Amino acid sequence: MPSILTIIRRPTEAFEALARSETDPLAVFFKQIVWLALAPPVFAFIGASAFGWRLGAAQPLYLSGDVLTQISIAYFFALLFGLVSTAFVGRWMAPTYGASDALGTHLALVGVVATPLVAGSVLHLFPHVFVNLLVLIPALIWSIYLLYKGLPIALGTGPERGMLMASSLVAYLLVGAVTLLGLTVALWASGIGPSIGV
Amino acid sequence: MATASNVTPAGPSRESYRDRVVTALVVFSIIWSLLGMAAGVHIAAELVWPNLDFGQEWLSFGRLRSLHTNAVIFGFGVSALMGTAFYSVQRTCHVPLFAPGLAWFCCFAWQIGVLGGGISLLAGWTGGKEYAELEWPFDIAIAVVWVCFAIVFFGTIARRRIKPIYVSNWFYGALIIVIAMLHIVNSLAIPVSISKSYSLFAGAQDAIVQWWYGHNAVGFLLTGGFLGMLYYFLPKHAGRPIWSYRLSIIAFWAFTYSYIWAGPHHLHYSAIPEWVQGLGMVMSLILLAPSWATMVNGIMTVAGAWRKLRVDPALKFIVLSLAFYGLATFEGPMMSIKSVNVVSHFTDWTVGHVHSGALGWNAMITFGTFYFLVPRLMGTALYSVRLANVHFWLALAGTMLYVLAMWGAGVSQGLLWLSLDEIGELSFSFKDIMASMAPYYALRLVAGIVFLAGAALLAYNLFMTIRGRRTVPAFPPAPDAASQP
Repeated sequence: MPSILTIIRRPTEAFEALARSETDPLAVFFKQIVWLALAPPVFAFIGASAFGWRLGAAQPLYLSGDVLTQISIAYFFALLFGLVSTAFVGRWMAPTYGASDALGTHLALVGVVATPLVAGSVLHLFPHVFVNLLVLIPALIWSIYLLYKGLPIALGTGPERGMLMASSLVAYLLVGAVTLLGLTVALWASGIGPSIGV
Repeated sequence: MATASNVTPAGPSRESYRDRVVTALVVFSIIWSLLGMAAGVHIAAELVWPNLDFGQEWLSFGRLRSLHTNAVIFGFGVSALMGTAFYSVQRTCHVPLFAPGLAWFCCFAWQIGVLGGGISLLAGWTGGKEYAELEWPFDIAIAVVWVCFAIVFFGTIARRRIKPIYVSNWFYGALIIVIAMLHIVNSLAIPVSISKSYSLFAGAQDAIVQWWYGHNAVGFLLTGGFLGMLYYFLPKHAGRPIWSYRLSIIAFWAFTYSYIWAGPHHLHYSAIPEWVQGLGMVMSLILLAPSWATMVNGIMTVAGAWRKLRVDPALKFIVLSLAFYGLATFEGPMMSIKSVNVVSHFTDWTVGHVHSGALGWNAMITFGTFYFLVPRLMGTALYSVRLANVHFWLALAGTMLYVLAMWGAGVSQGLLWLSLDEIGELSFSFKDIMASMAPYYALRLVAGIVFLAGAALLAYNLFMTIRGRRTVPAFPPAPDAASQP
């Protein structure tokens, strides 16, 4: 797997290495994906316990230990589902765009693309929504850049078809992100999470 | 799909397509996009620095906000729809426009109406209904122009030399018929002066009629009309037929049937009957199926045309518009679910949702279409492919930044509005919550400036493409006996 430094300094080289390697999906899952999905919830748990969520108005929002644990576990599984399902959706799309359908490569690609966002999630340690947004937006732009740049190389398709496939995956990820938002507020409305007057 | 020769007259009829009116409508649309988006950027700035109204009533948020929405929807959007409808209906029917003089009347009367309406909004004339703010003199004028639009469009279809009516015309036709119906019913009012009228409906009924109009204006204008644009211009861009024509027709009827019921989801937890709210929610969820059928049809059409991406920057805009179409048409039904709506309603999440559709879908597909259309109308190449590519990234960055800023603001607001303290009182005041939104609004302002900068690049690029040139004549192809009506 390419290191973070290689991804930053020589992304093309990192993706070419990814394309050459024969990657076992289970190995990628346990060595990379699980840890990527684990880091943000752990940061969020520590940050929310210590400082409370700061939404911008008055007092920070403190949640009880039980609720925080539930939310963090749900966050972990949501991220895990998001990463793995994106790899499966990518593999499903691959024949349409003439790309490699090796699940291991798809998983590894998703892992590399998610790395800037996971690195940015270290800001969850100070859970102020706007501060997090300020860091996560550039991280997201970097991730999208890596997706458009890396997909054609890692999956062995041309830049034009790679661009189309990357755009299709962006559509899937946008829908995934808004689903996460919707599920979150629906859980709040049903009494799980912060106490709101519904 | 119908094809047409660009410059060679064919057959006994040497009458060319009426494309000069299309060029005029495209130019007006671009001018409105700049004015409307600039108004949007200004009010975004006012939310960060309220003093930017300089104490002038006409510069206040309330007046400029409706100017912004009217200029982008009716100026930019409808001018683009009218122009592309006139362009595509001729080519899919193999005949020039019916009543071309009336088409020119539609073009100029519409611009005068939007300009006059915009000035009246700045002067404080308002009916107080969202997206239907214009007062009764303008409502009557809009209805008259719209009927003329219908005569030109359906008159052309009636004279067609091809038996099947291509799917883009079904969508443009639905746009014309349904918007006429919605506009006339929702605008029924009793005038008390030249600048003021009161709705014929009252209370909850007024709200239901307003959102039947409001949601279906989104549905049949901002979705259906632009789907007409997609179904004509995407296969043209791609140089291949729609992936599944049958799916496009099924999606059209499913879309038309289900959209019209979805309006009450704007009125959840209000005084309207519970069952009406439930119906609005269920029909909104059903709506996802035809919406995504169209998205899949578009994505699969473009997937086979990847070679074109090398030479056609416009196609990128269409690809991305499909991604945001997918997002907006998923997000909308999700936000109509009552347990989500209870948090998301009355927050900036709704504003983000509207703009993921307006910027990501409507504006992107229009930009892509203009980059395709203008060089063909002028019989030349696009002035700068490089500038179009820069525009693409500015448009993507502006839209993403806008949506993310509003998601952050909206979810924070939703949580804060509803937070209770230990004794069950609201934890935060409205004023405190709004004061804490300034950073998000600053981010949204940046997003708006980035998007507007992209639109300015388009205007410059197309101005340079058009400058010093005239619309080249194009002629219908020779009659084909197999496709005669």
